[in-house]
Amino acid sequence: MIRRFRHISLWSALALALAGALYSLGVWYGIHRDNHLILQLTSGKDVAVNKVISGEPELRLARAFYFKQKHRYDEALSTLSLVMDKGDQAFQAKVRYNLGNLYLEQALQQAKAMNINAATPLAGLAKQAYRQSLALDSGNWDAKYNLEVAMRLLPEMDRVDMPDDGPENRKSQLWTTVPGFPRGLP
Amino acid sequence: MRVPLIPVILVLSLLGCSRPIDEPVSYFNVETPRPFGYVNGDEIPRRIIIETRSGISLQPGSVPVKGQINRWLNLNQVSVKQSGRRYQIDLRYQVFYAPLEVKALTLPGFTLQLSQGEKNISQSVPAWTFTLSPLRELVVRQSEQGEYLRPDSPPSLSLLVNSHAVYGLAASLTIAALTALYLGYLYGCFPGLSRRTVFKRVLRKLAGLSKADMEQALTLVHQALNNLNGQPLFSNRLSEFYRRNPPYRQINSQLTWFFNYSNRYFFSDGMIVVQQDLQQLKDLCEQCRKIERGSR
Repeated sequence: MIRRFRHISLWSALALALAGALYSLGVWYGIHRDNHLILQLTSGKDVAVNKVISGEPELRLARAFYFKQKHRYDEALSTLSLVMDKGDQAFQAKVRYNLGNLYLEQALQQAKAMNINAATPLAGLAKQAYRQSLALDSGNWDAKYNLEVAMRLLPEMDRVDMPDDGPENRKSQLWTTVPGFPRGLP
Repeated sequence: MRVPLIPVILVLSLLGCSRPIDEPVSYFNVETPRPFGYVNGDEIPRRIIIETRSGISLQPGSVPVKGQINRWLNLNQVSVKQSGRRYQIDLRYQVFYAPLEVKALTLPGFTLQLSQGEKNISQSVPAWTFTLSPLRELVVRQSEQGEYLRPDSPPSLSLLVNSHAVYGLAASLTIAALTALYLGYLYGCFPGLSRRTVFKRVLRKLAGLSKADMEQALTLVHQALNNLNGQPLFSNRLSEFYRRNPPYRQINSQLTWFFNYSNRYFFSDGMIVVQQDLQQLKDLCEQCRKIERGSR
């Protein structure tokens, strides 16, 4: 009876172990395939969208990276917004940093073309994204640097710092949001 | 009456030095890191340690709450640990400020409320000033694309090199191989391996037998020898057996005794079994075990 039981349990252990091996092999293959797709996207080659949909959030990040490289900002934005809340904290910080870069690059382009009205909200959105990214991962120096770029583009002023905030000063307060403050200084 | 002046002054000054015994807070300290060298986006920890007299407790509502404090300062994390009458308040601030030159900023102070019954006592935490440095030069450098920016963070491949899958694969393959080997052993796929434990098993079984079970004991040893020989072994074929298993030649006398004894036991009447016979049988098996183990 005991021998019979031992045999049955041994055979089932073997079957389970083989099934586990097959499953791990499948997972491993999937990871390998996703990595290949990511490499393809980051090197500037597009991949079919259905491959991205079924895969990991990293794949969408790679696709957004590809769109941004090709200056297809709207598509990059919609791709990034799909993975905003996916993944772990480090991944979310990275998505927000890339989103900030997306806004900031557009803001800088608009500012260069002197479209101040278009540049201002974009710079604001960039700052917000960088702040969120830094709140998740305060050790990201790139985010710190680019946030400073965005903050110089659209400086912030405290109301408390300007005690005589009367209606006659409103106009001058508007000037504080003019982009590109440090440019052209001696 | 003339009062001695010097002792009175001494006593009074000593009284002035000592803290009143009923002071609600027995220990209060604010620990902060260096007050310089911070940049935009840095986190600044601040630890407040407060020890109260018995019966006095900290009002948790007076601890600052998580969130935005002012335009450039966020409070990201607040934790209060209490052990007895000691409170440890850990605050984690984050600064978002882009100064044009090194600038002094101040973490605002606040007041902690302690309660003793219905009485409220306040303990103020002082403001703390530190300096923040810019990350960029005043006149910014221009790259080919315009203003210099840090590039996008590329998706990491290492995040997807999921070590769990590799470990899982290795572990399940190892378990499968071990189980398959053991099953193979049980099914007799490794004859060389099983032969080496023939006498081990016999010895284990013999240990539980008495001289009344002599028939069973003899059968066990016969079976073991047959198993080793690959076919039934009789005394007249011993020389052939030795040719195939030379190490057994050294216990020839004991084996001969065994076959003679077995003959007498099974084929003659009135045989009386004594304890010594069983012991001799066990000794034979011990010798055989040593040979199969390779230690003789």
